Formats: sequence, C-alpha cells, structure tokens
Amino acid sequence: MAVAVRADLEQIFRATYPRVVGVAARVLGSRDEAEDVAQDVFLTFGRTSVPAGQAEGWLSVAAAHTALNHLRSGRRRASREEATAVHDPPADVADTVITRDERRRVRAALALLPRKQAVALVLRHSGLSYAEVAAALDMSPGSVGTTVRRAESALRKELKSHASSD
Amino acid sequence: MRHPTDGTLRRLLDEPAGVADADRAHVADCPVCLTQLAAAREDAAFTETALTDTTLTDSADVDAGWARLSHAVQAGRPRTVAAPARAARWRTALRSPVIAVVGVAALLAGAGAAAAADWIPIFRTESIQPITLSKADLVGLPDLTAYGDVQLLQQPDVHAVDDAAAAEKATGLTLPQLRELPRGVVGDPSYQVAGKVTAQFTFSAEKAGETAAAVGKPLPPVPPGLDGSQFRLTAGPGTAAVWGEGRGVPALIVARAVAPTAYSSGVPFPTAVGYLLSLPGLPQNVASSLRSFTGDGTTLPLPVNSTYLTASVADVNGRAATVLSSRDGVMAGVVWVADGKVTAVAGSMNADEALSVARDLR
Repeated sequence: MAVAVRADLEQIFRATYPRVVGVAARVLGSRDEAEDVAQDVFLTFGRTSVPAGQAEGWLSVAAAHTALNHLRSGRRRASREEATAVHDPPADVADTVITRDERRRVRAALALLPRKQAVALVLRHSGLSYAEVAAALDMSPGSVGTTVRRAESALRKELKSHASSD
Repeated sequence: MRHPTDGTLRRLLDEPAGVADADRAHVADCPVCLTQLAAAREDAAFTETALTDTTLTDSADVDAGWARLSHAVQAGRPRTVAAPARAARWRTALRSPVIAVVGVAALLAGAGAAAAADWIPIFRTESIQPITLSKADLVGLPDLTAYGDVQLLQQPDVHAVDDAAAAEKATGLTLPQLRELPRGVVGDPSYQVAGKVTAQFTFSAEKAGETAAAVGKPLPPVPPGLDGSQFRLTAGPGTAAVWGEGRGVPALIVARAVAPTAYSSGVPFPTAVGYLLSLPGLPQNVASSLRSFTGDGTTLPLPVNSTYLTASVADVNGRAATVLSSRDGVMAGVVWVADGKVTAVAGSMNADEALSVARDLR
C-alpha cells in the first residue's frame, strides 16, 4: 500500500542524498550499507513535517544515529560490497585487505566513543559547519569544538593503541 | 589572558572567523597554544583520513537512490530509524521562553560580575513581548561575529543539584511551588541550576563593512562613537524543576531566572540597536519588529518560531504573561517577568493547563 509522504520529498532528497549517504558511509565504512541507511532515513523523513529548512540537519543526525545503531547493535550484515570484492580481480590484493582491516578498526573505535561525540565528529567531518552541528545536536557552537576535539583525540588514541598491540 | 579552550583551538583550524580576535592574537604569540594547536591539527587530519574514504563518500547516485525510495514509498515499506527530531525540537521549543531571552539579549551583550562604574544599565527587562517570526526570518538573523567580536566571558555552567534547597543555595532564587501536580505528572522533579552568563560584543566598523561588501551592499554610515563600542549582557543565574525527564520530553518544567540586563559603555543603547538592526543581512521586517520593542528599554522581544508555536498574551495573577502553544496542541508554556526575574512553566499539556499551573504557583 502506498504511504502518503510530504510533497517536497523528492526535492529535498535530490539536494541532500549525497550528504546523507556520506554521513552514514563515514560511520559504516561501506557504501552499500550507507545507502541502505539513507533509504531508511528518507523514508521516515517523508512522513514527518520537519520544516524544509531544517531537513538537512535532521537527516544528517538521523543518518549518524541510525548508522551508529547498526554498528553497535551487531545488526550489520555482510556487506554486498565486501562480498562482491571477493569476485573482483583486485589490482593489489594486499592493499584491499589492509583497507578493509583499517575500515573495520576505525568502525570499532567509533563505536566506543560516547554517542554525542561520535555524532558530532561524523557530522563535522561530513562538512557541516559548527553552527549546523550545534543546531542539529541542540548544543552551543562553542561546545562543538570541544566535543569534536575530544572525539578526535580519543579516536586516534584508540586506533594507535590497537595498532601498537598488533 | 587565559589560554583559549581546546574547543576554541579546534575551531581555529576549521572556522577561524568564528574565533574571537583576542583568542586568535593570543594563540599566534603563545608557544603553549601553538603546541596544542599543532596536536589538534594532527588529530583532525588523522581522523579525516580515517573517516573519509572518498571511494565511499563521493558521487552518490541520486537518480538510482530516488528510484529505490520511490519504489519503497509505493510499497509502503515500514522503516525504523533513530529519528532525532521530535525530542530535540521540543527541547529547543521548551527552552525557548528562557533561552531565547538570553539569545536575543546576547545580541548586544551584558555585564560581568564586577561591572565597572562606567557600565550604565540601559536595558532592564520588565516585560516580555512576543514576536512571531517565521523560520525564514529566524535563520536570517545575523551572527554578530560578522559585525564585531563576541566573547562569552562567563559560561552558564548548567548542572544538576540534589534538591530545591541546593538549587536555592546555588542561585539565590526560590523556585515557586505547585499546590498540586497537574494530571499525568507524577513523582519528584530533578533540579537543574545555571550560573550567570556574561557576553561582550565589541562593534567593529571594519568587520561590518566587510560583511556588507560580501552581500554587495554599502555599509550605512556608522554613528559617531559606535566603532569599538562595547556592550555587555548578563543573564542568570537560573534554576528549574523538571518532571519526567526520562521520557525525553519533560512532562513539566518550572523555571526561574534573573532577567537579562544589557549595559553600554557609551553609545546609547537605542542608537546601537537601531544601527545594528539596519545592517545588511537582517530581513527588514525582523529589524522593524525588533526595533519597535526596544524603544523603552523595558520590554524584551521574544522571538517565537511560528512553524511550531503560536504566541498569545494572558494574565497570571496580575502580570502580563506570554503563552506559547505548539500548533499540534501537545506542548505549551507560559513565561512572565516580575521583579527582575523571568518565570516559566512549560510541559506536555495544553495552553489552558499551563496557565492553570502558572496561576497556581505560590
């Protein structure tokens, strides 16, 4: 059964889809999974009355939270990206394996961060301004820098300790 | 001067224009800060590399994505996402009666704890006048960093305390008591306190000129003495009793705060307001509305987001109060000013219930 959705859904989708996929991809390290998350987020958004002017912030935060939920709840399924990669003739097998392993470590480290830090970090690195991150997360612009800084420091520390223990 | 915070240093990397000139100047000459800045830069670059794999984040196929979404909409596929909007939006709306007071007044800054004798109080808040603005108007309000330096001199330090007595001790304010809790509100409240907020705005004709040039408009002639003039705002302390926080949207909030006061070091406040509000970038209708409420220095404009809220005026025990109601009737709040204090009642109730609670406070 078709579901009634807001009239401006397509316009907003076309304007914001790349960013929403980008936010989810930074969390998940997988394009296919990020697109799945984006679909879910837009489908939900289509039934809301969030003002168009706030849509990008709403969608970005929803994408970050939903992607982090995927990471943390263990609901991640084997990504089609990785499955198909097995059948592709990789130019450099070693590089592909390293990249995949690195992505896995980054996601594990991201999942360990406090939720607000993780979301602020991902939004900032997805290109949202401090004002946009502040508005989307209901925090002051001044505290965005502090939150992002702590998250970056913790992420690097976690990844470094992981690397040195290998 | 104290070293800028880690957060300020981090922002310096991304948005240097968002950092106060004084902080930028300090960092440029401070070996300690430069070392911290270098560490922040390294961590930021490391994170950017770790998170941003351009093969994953670039060139999403919008057409294919839209085709898939259209199909899902047609199929009526149910989805569950971590929707952030409702609770966050309501928190914002709920806080607006008090925080918007700070936000509007922060426009023109306030006084520190040790206000010097040459700071003349020029804006006492004795009543609140609602202005209903559309979202488009609100987002058009200028960031004053484009017209000078804005420094937060004193953070509000919001934190929880154990009980009403502790809240009173921390703020010097007595929270009004409810005779009985409204229907649907149960249990004991949690108590929040916030200290005084102090901000300082220093007008810069040079910055204002650059901003005007950026939007292709000439800067209106600057009133004599305004360039370099400083304005301070102080607001708070404040305290709130909050029921039912666990549900994400508070069932009821009763809050009281010391009303904001603005101070000027020289140029008359109305002159400064009139000029600032005429600067390029501010929608003319908003400028007109704001200016009309600042003439007597005792009325505080309270911007209301008309997308979510409607505003009306009612009487609370002889005081004129502003009633804010959500358009869907789910949330409402009442706010009024008396004896230099702002009091607000808000929660998951309709306007009549909120007014009833407000009138029943003792």
